[in-house]
Amino acid sequence: MKRFLLLILLLLTMHNLYSYSILESETGNYITNFDARSSAIGSAIASGGNNLFDALTNPANLGFVQDKFGCQFTALVLKDADNRSLPMYNSFDAYCDDATYVSNINYFENYAFGAYYNMKFSDINSAVSVIYRPFMNFDSHYFEEVRNNQNSDYNSYPPIIAKNYIDSEGAINTLSILAALTYKDFVSCGIEVSKLRGNSDKERSIIWSDQALEKLGTLTDTTNTLTRDFNAFQIKVGGKVKVNRRLGFGIAFSPKIEFDVTGDKDGVDVENAVYSYTKFDSLDNPTDSLLYSDFYSPMRLRAGISYEPRNIMRTYFNCDIEYTKWSDVNSLYDDELSYYIGIEHRLKNRIPIRLGFNYQTCYSLHEHSGKVFADKVTIPTFTAGTGFTLLENFNCDISFEFSNRQYEALDLFMDSFYDYDELWEYPQYLNLQDRNWENPDTVKETFINIQSSISFKW
Amino acid sequence: MNKLFLGLLFFCLVMPLFAETKEELDIKHKELLEEYNREKNKLLIPKFSGAIILPEKLDLNTASYEEIKSLPITSEQAEDIFDYRFFHQFFKSIYDLREIESIDQVTLNKLKPLVSVSHYKDKDEAAQRRDEIYYLIERLGSNEGLQEGMSDVWEDYLMTPRNINKLTFSDILNLPNVSAIDVAAIINRRAIGDTISSYRDLRHSPGISYYGAKNIRHYVYYKEQPVTRKMFVDYQMKYNDSPYPDDALEMFKESMIRYEGSSSEPSTPEIKKQSYWGFFNMESDRASMLNKLRIRYLNEWKAGCIFNTSKGEENIFKKDNEDILKDSKFYVGYEKELDLLGRNFLKIYAGNYRATFGEGLVMENTDFYSPRKTGYGFNKRITGIIPDISRTQEYALRGIALDWKRDNLNAVFFLSKDEKDAVVYDSNNNGKLDDDDDVLSYITMTRRFTDDELESAEEYFNDYPNNYNAVDIAPRKDALKEQIIGGHLEYSPFIGTHIGMTGYEAVYNRDFVVPETDELKHLLISDPEYAEEKWKITDNEISALYSTRSDEIGDRDYRRVYGFDWRTVLNNTSIQGEYAELEVDGSIFKIGDDPKAIIVSAYTQFENLYFLSMYRDYDLEFDNPYHRSFSESERFDDTVFEKLTYALNNTLLTDMYLNSAQPSAEKGIYFETRYQFSRYFTITKAYLDIWERKSDARRGIRFQGKLEFKPIHQIRLRGRYKHQIKRYDDDQDRGKSQADEYELGFLFYLSNFDKIILGYVYGTVLQPPYLSILSNPAQAGAPDMAQASTLGNGDMVYVGYTHNFNKNLKVIGAFSFWQGHGVSFWDFEDIELDFDQEDRGFKFWFNVHSRISSNLFLSIKYKYKQFMTREYEFRDYNDIPDEGEYYFQRVERKENILRLQLDWKF
Repeated sequence: MKRFLLLILLLLTMHNLYSYSILESETGNYITNFDARSSAIGSAIASGGNNLFDALTNPANLGFVQDKFGCQFTALVLKDADNRSLPMYNSFDAYCDDATYVSNINYFENYAFGAYYNMKFSDINSAVSVIYRPFMNFDSHYFEEVRNNQNSDYNSYPPIIAKNYIDSEGAINTLSILAALTYKDFVSCGIEVSKLRGNSDKERSIIWSDQALEKLGTLTDTTNTLTRDFNAFQIKVGGKVKVNRRLGFGIAFSPKIEFDVTGDKDGVDVENAVYSYTKFDSLDNPTDSLLYSDFYSPMRLRAGISYEPRNIMRTYFNCDIEYTKWSDVNSLYDDELSYYIGIEHRLKNRIPIRLGFNYQTCYSLHEHSGKVFADKVTIPTFTAGTGFTLLENFNCDISFEFSNRQYEALDLFMDSFYDYDELWEYPQYLNLQDRNWENPDTVKETFINIQSSISFKW
Repeated sequence: MNKLFLGLLFFCLVMPLFAETKEELDIKHKELLEEYNREKNKLLIPKFSGAIILPEKLDLNTASYEEIKSLPITSEQAEDIFDYRFFHQFFKSIYDLREIESIDQVTLNKLKPLVSVSHYKDKDEAAQRRDEIYYLIERLGSNEGLQEGMSDVWEDYLMTPRNINKLTFSDILNLPNVSAIDVAAIINRRAIGDTISSYRDLRHSPGISYYGAKNIRHYVYYKEQPVTRKMFVDYQMKYNDSPYPDDALEMFKESMIRYEGSSSEPSTPEIKKQSYWGFFNMESDRASMLNKLRIRYLNEWKAGCIFNTSKGEENIFKKDNEDILKDSKFYVGYEKELDLLGRNFLKIYAGNYRATFGEGLVMENTDFYSPRKTGYGFNKRITGIIPDISRTQEYALRGIALDWKRDNLNAVFFLSKDEKDAVVYDSNNNGKLDDDDDVLSYITMTRRFTDDELESAEEYFNDYPNNYNAVDIAPRKDALKEQIIGGHLEYSPFIGTHIGMTGYEAVYNRDFVVPETDELKHLLISDPEYAEEKWKITDNEISALYSTRSDEIGDRDYRRVYGFDWRTVLNNTSIQGEYAELEVDGSIFKIGDDPKAIIVSAYTQFENLYFLSMYRDYDLEFDNPYHRSFSESERFDDTVFEKLTYALNNTLLTDMYLNSAQPSAEKGIYFETRYQFSRYFTITKAYLDIWERKSDARRGIRFQGKLEFKPIHQIRLRGRYKHQIKRYDDDQDRGKSQADEYELGFLFYLSNFDKIILGYVYGTVLQPPYLSILSNPAQAGAPDMAQASTLGNGDMVYVGYTHNFNKNLKVIGAFSFWQGHGVSFWDFEDIELDFDQEDRGFKFWFNVHSRISSNLFLSIKYKYKQFMTREYEFRDYNDIPDEGEYYFQRVERKENILRLQLDWKF
């Protein structure tokens, strides 16, 4: 009964909870996988995936699904702690360390669901599946307070001058149809055809406090908006070979996706709104611009190996390498390799212990002296997890992912904006200036992702 | 007679039948085996003949899936049985069936009369061997940081042991934790015609210690090589995103901009980009990645390569072929005993190799400094030539090396041609650093910037508005072409005794020139005021750097170092030493007329005690870049390179100290012992060092003792006390510092699978009354004047836990918390050392070791560390207005560290 109640509880909370970084609020956060087992083994599943959602990484994984019918849900909690700090200097004006001035932790929602049907004809196994899930997410929230420099002698905090917000919401969701054929449980090929559709709304606002407005009535709130709708088709193909019972290879390929984007940026059509300039002529004049309507998902090629050695515990070892052609997205980006390693041990009582690691890269764009630069940010991730049988046909997997990244960014709300003497208690002590790329913020983000998947197989 | 006849008749009739049955059995067994081999793609052989398998019983270790399915069980149970054998292990008895979840006792009872289990032995003897000695391989791996490359050599000998009856003196001495006295005991036995036939026999060699024999036993064989496999391949991948060490962080973050007047004027703009850290956006520096491959055929043919990308460096895919070749390391080698007019032992290596002789005075090429490197126990040296694919880059030797031994003679010859990183300064005063400029010294860079990177940063700093500091001294990658020719000749007149000579000549394409002291201080320190004020007597160590320009004998393009070493074993005492000279102005044939260094030690060994005493004396001018002998501290300790990063013309010069691998010039005497004085009590290690630093005659005393009480095997109590004083022999109290540290630890084996360690450390540091300490305290309004010495104290608690799920899966974790001002702690974490300092902090880490299969090993470590950095200092220094709040949410540092290691050995 307890297990049944637990199952009901998990079904009721059958949504993904996401919290994404402000870094990806415009470029979108690509969602790697939806299966808790895969997540726990570092997402190294190009060859070693055996759950329905693993087919999203390599459609050929669907060909090795053994049961006749199955469905899967995933619930996920992802915590992103975004700490922004400003550089601190010692008495010799040497940059020593950073002092955190704002910390944001946010939660958002999403969901995924999928089902498959498996048919066997002699030596050939065929399987089809339908999956609905988010492909890319734009959710992120940022909030900071600007307080005045009044002291707290009167047992009160310095009053708020303004509240700054960045709110981004939206996702590109995918309805995917997958099909796979397997010959003699030896080789399989699969295809995924997806319709990608979604939208994103981003709003950046500075809201003055009543106290600030009382002191300076001419202040007006500031709001910038970006609204976009996305449309695209995706095709992904994959192959998988089980060389023998121990060894398997998998490969998956998804070409570049070009999205049809409509919307507006502060009232300007996104096709005319310039995001950044990427090329310059000999006189350093911008020649080629990147628009808000230019939205692409890069070509990805992933290859993986799965190995089941003899061990006193049942052991699965998987290793993937993925080539991402980031130059498809922006000519400033370099193509990169990502690495995924995962291992699963099943202890004597069949409880699995899963461990994994992956190493991925992303980019942040910044403008300096009229030129745009791309900074590479690496994201190492450590993963762990386990699983258990909930009811006879229900399996539940739980995973934990930890990743962190560190990069430099400009102050999201520049100091000079608040440079009104009327707003400050002691303006003589202030020298509000914008810190540019010579003195940027350090952003440290940690992601903790706890994911649970429930799969039903019949 | 009739009975005999009937018996013979019966024999004649039955035996053919029996023979036929056996033949059938053999055929069946053969078929089963072939089928099974096809399934598992791996050869297995029965330990005993197939004749023992009874025909009516199915052998679970050879039966096919179809045969198992024919038993009275369900197909799922049959599959589970087959999978157990295929994916878990072979059946040792039929009761192993109960390990399978779907087989209950009723099913087992039903199967008992129908199945049997034959004994099998895995044919992969290398895997079997690895399994036997895995704990030793793991231990070697855990010391990799200190031994840098030597672990590979020892691991090869563990996997392919050598015949103890043929090994030479130095071959045995080069094994870990083996003393010359142990080796002499073995060789003495062999010299009288005796052979060692077993470990027990070895253990009874007169003069050998218990630990000596125990440490040797897995590296050698006596009669028959335990592993007949010949080809071995080892691949290792390491990923590590540890942050830069604190002192390196300070170096990178220090401003490179100086303004007219004084560099300490608070009006200096606070701009992050005026430091290397900000300029190169080192916040986002990528993690280090190491890929290493070794291939060998027996212990004869060896080859290997390493691609190591240190933190922040571009990975291999972004480099062109020339840089890949320069930055990687590789070797091919051949080692063989040749029968050529007697027994000859030959080693020849091409590519990267390590050369170590004597006590490391003349030659020991590693980038890594190790304090108090005695050459004994865990501080072992492998003398002679060994292949090198360690992380050593600056002092790597690349070329050809030849090592030949015969009877009492040993000759080594080596040639190397490589490009080295160096500190270059604008000696021709043309306003730029180019190929015509002179070199001050070798340098090992924390982050190995390319020349293009460095030049772009220098250009930016030099062009910075109002900056008066022109960068005219800087490190440069591969700036120095170095060609080395060297050799070692050794003669052993009798067992345990040798005398040897070592020498090398390094020829350079550029001049090493150390300017006159007045010029030097202004070259290194940008602020003229500081140059005079801050230049201390310890900086003599910089003035004493080697120069190819000589007033006595004119210019030259080389550096010559030569010396001789000796060893003799007298009963249970081994006396050894080395003397070396760096040729400067003296004659090559005259001893004592050039900067020199000497080290002499005596090691006495009893069954439950050893005692080591050592004397060393290194001249200040003995600037041999390949010198790695015993010392208390590294070169440039306490010089401007360590203390005055903020005032250096180029902050990157701090690397001269941070990564210095050369010992400091010092003289002193050192004693060390281990003594098990009862069954329960052992002084695990105690040492006393009394030394004098040559550059400023400062004296130091350091004592550390560790005592272990083991009432029963499962419980150990450990105590440690450390005391250190450094001071001058006059009234300069400001030069005195005194540190004391006390530690109490408990270790409990809770079960065969669990171990817990608890500990507490308390430390005090008495420091001189530097103004910088008293004027920057936590509280406002502290005294500005020096009044007395300050006593800092701090403590740390830690707890560690190890859980073995089984022999193939292990988790180790620990938590520690520390608090203290001015006191720091070294903490040994699983396989690396960590330095915990700053006011207060805590950390936890865990490491999962998984043996995925018999040849694949994975280790994942995660560490979280959080500590205060300089909150008080920031609050004090950041112009807090007299009125108003100046609040920062946190000024603490959080570090998340991931480390991954994958080893594939086949």
